[in-house]
This record gives sequence, C-alpha cells and structure tokens, in this order.
Amino acid sequence: MLNVQNLVKIFNKGSVNEKTALDNISFNLNKGEFVTIIGSNGAGKSSFLNAIAGNFPTDSGTVIISDKNVTTLPQYERAKYISRVYQDPMSGTAASMTIEENLVMALRRGEKRRLKLAIRNKDKDFFRQELRKLGLGLEDRLTTKVSLLSGGQRQALTLLMATFKEPELLLLDEHTAALDPKTAEKVLQLTCDVTRDSNLTTLMITHNLDQALNVGDRTIMMHEGRIILDIHGEQRKTVTINDLLKMFENASGTQFHTDRALFA
Amino acid sequence: MSSLVVLGTTEQGLMYAIMVLGVYLTFRILNYADLTVDGSFTLGAATAATLITSGYNPWFATGVAFILGCLAGSFTGILHTKFKITPLLSGILTMTALYSINLRVMGKANISLLRERTIFSDFESLPYMQEYGVLILAFLTVVIIGFFIYLFLETEFGLALRATGDNELMIRSLGVNTDLMKITGLALSNGLVAFAGSYVAQNQLFADISMGIGMIIIGLASVIIGEVLIGTRTIAKAVLAVLCGGVIYRGIIAIVLQLGLVATDLKLITALIVILALITPQLRSKFSRPLKNV
Ligand SMILES: Nc1ncnc2c1ncn2[C@@H]1O[C@H](COP(=O)(O)OP(=O)(O)OP(=O)(O)O)[C@@H](O)[C@H]1O
Ligand SMILES: [Mg+2]
Repeated sequence: MLNVQNLVKIFNKGSVNEKTALDNISFNLNKGEFVTIIGSNGAGKSSFLNAIAGNFPTDSGTVIISDKNVTTLPQYERAKYISRVYQDPMSGTAASMTIEENLVMALRRGEKRRLKLAIRNKDKDFFRQELRKLGLGLEDRLTTKVSLLSGGQRQALTLLMATFKEPELLLLDEHTAALDPKTAEKVLQLTCDVTRDSNLTTLMITHNLDQALNVGDRTIMMHEGRIILDIHGEQRKTVTINDLLKMFENASGTQFHTDRALFA
Repeated sequence: MSSLVVLGTTEQGLMYAIMVLGVYLTFRILNYADLTVDGSFTLGAATAATLITSGYNPWFATGVAFILGCLAGSFTGILHTKFKITPLLSGILTMTALYSINLRVMGKANISLLRERTIFSDFESLPYMQEYGVLILAFLTVVIIGFFIYLFLETEFGLALRATGDNELMIRSLGVNTDLMKITGLALSNGLVAFAGSYVAQNQLFADISMGIGMIIIGLASVIIGEVLIGTRTIAKAVLAVLCGGVIYRGIIAIVLQLGLVATDLKLITALIVILALITPQLRSKFSRPLKNV
C-alpha cells in the first residue's frame, strides 16, 4: 500500500544549519494497517509524514502509494490518496467559511474544482447524517462559520473531513495533543471507530506511549531521522511502556526524552 | 447639491464599484494586497480610449480592456507564485511596468474621447435612454457583474479560491493547486479593475496616464466602508456591501468637495479613512476595560 525506500531529506543543505531530518528511511505499510509513531522531539516524525504527503521535495529515495510512484508529485496531486489531520485544530479547516462549505471542499478532495454550485440539497442531508455521528450537535449548524467552533469541535470536524471520503492513506500528526483530556479522548475514540469501520490505512504520531501501544496494530519508533524500532504482532501485545523505554535506550544509546511524553 | 451632481456622482460611483469588487477579490477573498490595481485601471482606460479613437467598436474595446487587465493580474500572480516574490513587490513591479506600457498604448499622456462613439453614446441612442442612459447602463452592469461574481464564489472553484485566502495549507492538502487559484483570482480582479477603467474613461470622455494613481487606496476605503455599513455575514451580503461601498465612497467625496475642500486633498482624506478603519480594532481593544486577572 505505502512503500518508502531509502528516503532522505536534508534541510538547509550546504549551510551551517544543515539538518538531516530523514536519514535513509525504508518502510512498508500494508493495506488496512494502523501504525503509531513515537520518538523524541526533532526525531523526524512530522518530516516523515510531510515527505509522504509531498509538503516539500525530498533529496533521494522513493515514495510509492498503491503502486503509483508519487515521489515527484506536488502535494496537491497526492491529495487524491492522502488525508491529513494536523496537531493545530486551526489548520484543518477554513475559519471564515461555513461548516457545510468546509465539508463540501473535503468531499471533493483530489477532484477537479468545477464552475458548478458547490453545495446541493442532497449533500446537506449527507452532511447532517455524518455530523450526527460526531455527537456534537453540529448537524443543526451547517451554515455556522467554523471560526465560531471550539478547538475540539474543529478537530472532530477535521477528522470527519479527512475520513468521510475514504482516503487510501490517513496521516495523523499528534491530532489530539492540543485538546483537553476529555475532548482528546473523544477525538481518539472517533479516530479508532472510523479507521476500524472503513478499514483505513493509517499513520498516527503520538507522544502518549500508552496510546502508542494500545491504539492500532503496529508501533514504530524514530530517532535522528531513522526508524529504530518496529513492534508488531504477538510481541506488541506483551510489551509494556517500560519495555518500550528500555528498547529505545538500547537501540539509540540515549534516554527517551520529549517535552510532552505521557507515560500513563 | 444639485440633482445633476447627484446623478453624476451615482453614475461614477457605480463604475468605480466594479473596480472595488475587483479589489475585494484580492484584498478580502485572497487575502492579498495587490497594488497592480493602480496600473490596470489606467490600462483599461488607455486600451479603450486608444481602440475607440482608432475606430474600433466601443463594446469590443471594453472587452479587450477586461482581457488585458486579466493578463496584467496573471503577470503579478506568476511573479508571486512561480518566482516567490512577495505580494506587495509583485504588484508594485507590474504597476511600474504598466506605467510605461500604458504610455506606449496611448502614445501620449492623455486621449480625448469627445465626439467619439462610446458604449454610453450607443446606449443613450436607444429609445427612452437619453436622460438616464449612463445611469441605467452602469447600474445594469454592476447588477450583472455582482450577481455573477456572487455565483462564482459559491461554485466549487469559488470555494477553493476563498479557502486559498483563508487556509492555504488546508486547501492544498485537499488537492487544490493554490498557485493556480491565486493567479486566477488576481487575473479576474485586475480584469474587473481594467473594465471599470474603460467605463470611467468612456464616461468622462478622456483617458489620462495618471488616472489610476491611488486607486488601490480608494478601493480599500470603499471595501471597508461597505463592510462596516452593510456587513459580511454571507457572501451575497459581502458582495452587495462592497458594491455599495464604492458608490457611498463617491458620495462622501462629492460631499466633501461641496464643503469646499480642494480636489488635491482627496487622497489624504481617503488614506485617513483607510488608516482609521485599520486601526479601529486595535484602538477598541486598547481603550476597552482591562480584564481582571482571575
Ligand atoms: N522546514 C524546516 N526547515 C528546516 N528544518 C526543519 C524543517 N522542518 C523540520 N526541520 C528540522 O528537522 C528535524 C525534524 O523535525 P520534525 O518536525 O520532523 O520532528 P518531530 O519528530 O515531528 O518532532 P516533534 O516531536 O517536536 O514534533 C528537526 O531538527 C527540525 O528542526
Ligand atoms: Mg512533529
């Protein structure tokens, strides 16, 4: 499904600020797999997702999605295959536009935008039905501007926008980190439900080690631009957070450190 | 004020409103301060005047003005998106280049259209149109353009354009080529501005190389006035607001002139209106009661 080979990304190449964010990464993801990604600050997790989504050109290596080599495609052309939810609830929606306008833009993800009225009545029914699943009462507020919603509501809306037209690959970058614990729990639950129901292929970055082991079916750990651990199958079922930390120390030779790791 | 002044002001206001709608597309929809406007307004006037005095059909000349305006806007858009030049500088570069181009087009600093056939003289020769022909043609044009721009902004393409100005990262990750959106938006905007320029020239019966100077500020002032007085809750309302803003601005200027201010002070007053509008939100928060720390 997703096949990454020898991917390298060096920021500010040739300057004093040169930084190798992705150091020869190779990675294979099967259809329907849900992988959680952990690693210290600056390990290259976000860069990895950005490289897959095409936010910037990479220095070498290939990215193949569903047998199509997308390595040189710009971000907007990869949108056909990929949906994303970012950490910042503000970044997934257009604040000055209404809920239904945001939804319809997501419904047309990867399609050509035509000179045709964007919202039709049958879309509205569909939107109401989908919004009802969030259980936030948004189904009665289709024409409300998104700027009036809370961060949690916006993030739930973004998640819906990213999944109701099923992507081949769903990329989540700490998408619950900016929410209060209760809302984060709710958005995570929604994530689990939708990825299970639609059997979505998913990559999720998290700083919550408990989440990393209990959500999805495979965990990878990144360090200095490389994948240093890949835990799946039977092994993953028995691993504890302490095991995980020890494995990290053995593989990287340093302590696992991050400003927001949660061990509970 | 005499009824003749009121009539003339309204006619002019409606023509300028088309320019204001163009400025709204970049300034508000794309969130892009585009200074091309000063040059493309003159470009429209110069093109129409030159073609008309060379014997071309005035309606054709007006159409060409629109298209050349679109080209000017696209040029700014390409400078910005493909060559990563800042929005302000891209606009200034095109505007500066257009000054020379406009002089080339006109061949001299101004062209008179006295006794030439214009879209207005055509329209006034229709039955019942002698007296209010200019007003009616300008009004019809504004209504039609306003309606189509409103519809356009509600299409799939229009939504993508608005989202490009609101959250570029988001709409790009939904598969929209935002460079193309910006170029299209700038093209359409400057097309409208040049179109307005050709109307104004045909109404005042001359084109002048400096008639576009300060146009961007007039556009911004009009957008702001319209938004404050009418509001922007929906796209339909916002489009109506900026069109009315264009007319109201002309009205304010006419009144100020009647009060005895000299015409050369107008730019100062216009700039003050824009400054006032831009600093009001800051002032309001500065002078509001400080929040108590809880
Ligand atoms: N656009 C950029 N320009 C220059 N350097 C960058 C850029 N983006 C990331 N980097 C650098 O690449 C390295 C990896 O950053 P990245 O954001 O991928 O880390 P991360 O694992 O997501 O960290 P965090 O847990 O803090 O989110 C960092 O050293 C960062 O400073
Ligand atoms: Mg990150």
